[in-house]
Amino acid sequence: MGPVGAPAAVTAERAEEREPGARAPWVAAALAAALLVALTASVCLGSSDVPLGEVWSSVARGISGQEPVPGTRDLIVWQLRVPRALLAAVVGAGLGLVGTAVQALVRNPLADPYLLGISSGASLGAVAAIVLGAGAGGMLGLGLSAAAFAGALASFALVWAMARRGGGFSPLRLVLAGVGIGQFLSGFTHYLVLQAGDDQQTHGVLFWLMGSLGGAQWSTLGVPVAAVLLGLAALLARARALDAVLMGDETAAGLGVDVARLRRELFVVTSVLTGVLVSVSGAIGFVGLMVPHVCRMVVGGAHRVLLPVAALFGAVLLVVVDLVARTALPDQELPVGVVTALIGAPTLLYLLDRRLERG
Amino acid sequence: MRIAIEDLDVTLSGRTVVSGVHLVAEDGEIAGLVGPNGSGKSTVLRTVYRYLRPHAGRVLVGGTDIRSLTAPEAARRVAALPQERGSDFELSVRAVVAMGRTPYKRAFSGEDPADRDIVAAALAGVGLAGAEKRRFSALSGGERQRVLLARALAQDPKVLVLDEPTNHLDVLHQVELLALLRAQRRTTLLSLHDLNAAASLCDRLHVLHDGHVVASGPPRQVLTPELLADVFGVRAAVIDHPLTGDPLIAFDHRSPAAALPQATVPLTADR
Repeated sequence: MGPVGAPAAVTAERAEEREPGARAPWVAAALAAALLVALTASVCLGSSDVPLGEVWSSVARGISGQEPVPGTRDLIVWQLRVPRALLAAVVGAGLGLVGTAVQALVRNPLADPYLLGISSGASLGAVAAIVLGAGAGGMLGLGLSAAAFAGALASFALVWAMARRGGGFSPLRLVLAGVGIGQFLSGFTHYLVLQAGDDQQTHGVLFWLMGSLGGAQWSTLGVPVAAVLLGLAALLARARALDAVLMGDETAAGLGVDVARLRRELFVVTSVLTGVLVSVSGAIGFVGLMVPHVCRMVVGGAHRVLLPVAALFGAVLLVVVDLVARTALPDQELPVGVVTALIGAPTLLYLLDRRLERG
Repeated sequence: MRIAIEDLDVTLSGRTVVSGVHLVAEDGEIAGLVGPNGSGKSTVLRTVYRYLRPHAGRVLVGGTDIRSLTAPEAARRVAALPQERGSDFELSVRAVVAMGRTPYKRAFSGEDPADRDIVAAALAGVGLAGAEKRRFSALSGGERQRVLLARALAQDPKVLVLDEPTNHLDVLHQVELLALLRAQRRTTLLSLHDLNAAASLCDRLHVLHDGHVVASGPPRQVLTPELLADVFGVRAAVIDHPLTGDPLIAFDHRSPAAALPQATVPLTADR
């Protein structure tokens, strides 16, 4: 058995390369600090910049439940910017989680949370509400979110029924059902957009479809926060099973994982979480694809470490992106999805390119 | 721990793939499944590591029906090395081997020092101590297969089940892997394409043909020229290996045992 010992010497030269999982605590700490900085910057900067000291006193007043002082920027800070920054963080964290889980669910590192058709249903629900007037009063109020979530559940039921036929729940079946039903529902959405009554409606619809955090309010933060926390817990509880399915269904079965049940559970968790996220922010692209990918490069693919890191990185990224979307152009806000695509796509391509060179 | 398969039938989408299979691997024995492509080797193995459910019959591990156990209980007895080779998800070698601890862990529980020791020992056992930090997908085929064996060993199983573990490996890596299996002295059930490897490694062979076991016993008894002609359709002489004394099957690579009906080149008797 002499030759078997040899590769250890070959690997010695790589020994200084640390195991990716070992850096995770440092990465997480750095991301948590970055999140704090990004949140602060996001609250300070905007159409009118608010100095840091004023922000802190507004936040302190808000937290202690005092009324905003009239004539100051308390109202902007506490009623608009803080909830918006927090919503960005929560949605970003959620997209990072969902992306990670969906990629394991369909065993493809380039899968997207929207691959399974859930967001198409949510978009159809939201657009129907805008165009057909169900949510006429509050454009981005609770009515719209409810319609979007109803659409998400409807598409979830359709994809589930399609993917389940024939008993199995294979990755390929899920993707095909998701893509097929997603396209089908998008057809309706596009039809409705064309039926939109006036330019303002069309503008509202398009803005929503490309993703926006403009609807953030304290009253609507609770549901996404709860969904993201529950989702994180549900996924962390299955971290080992998620690792195992990356190797293949047979391997996972041999490790004592009930793969069929795991897929069903993951599909439910990711669908509900996606539905909640899309219903509060529209379908913000690229975050769910890019975040897990980048995080895997840094901390490795083991989910117990990857999930929290992906949530933190997603949060930081979307807070920064939303800040850019609000401040890049004077007098005009860009849809968040436009910025994620413009920043995200080149970043992803650059990282992939470096990765391939490194081999 | 003894494995016994009794009267096993497996049906896949309405088609009976395996029927009436009886086979055994005694405690501490290496038992091989051989047979032509599509004869049902993988199907039988999949019922042992519970990827497939038998249509009829039982799989007994240490006298217990594997289906009467919970999935983690079964995985603590049986570790499998299927033909899957993983995909590129940036898993480190260490993370892959640590998966072997899955059936011992509850939700949310992390690794304790005992797990870390077991993982390190499993890697050392396959000659890859120090490779923990490498990326699994960047390994060579031979190294990858040894990491997967280490993952199975980290499962601390009573029984190892391997599906064509030497597939796609060059000769040296095949020999190394088989030597590792031999050194385990653990009840092992594996399928092998290479009949000479099977003859050298296995204490007992079961020959599958069209979903039935057609012969069982020690390699020298089972691997006769007649069986090789009937089951595998090849002409071969079985001699003693000049170096090891194992049975050595010398195939006639020029012509099959019987002229194929659709053969276009006439086969002459005096070749």
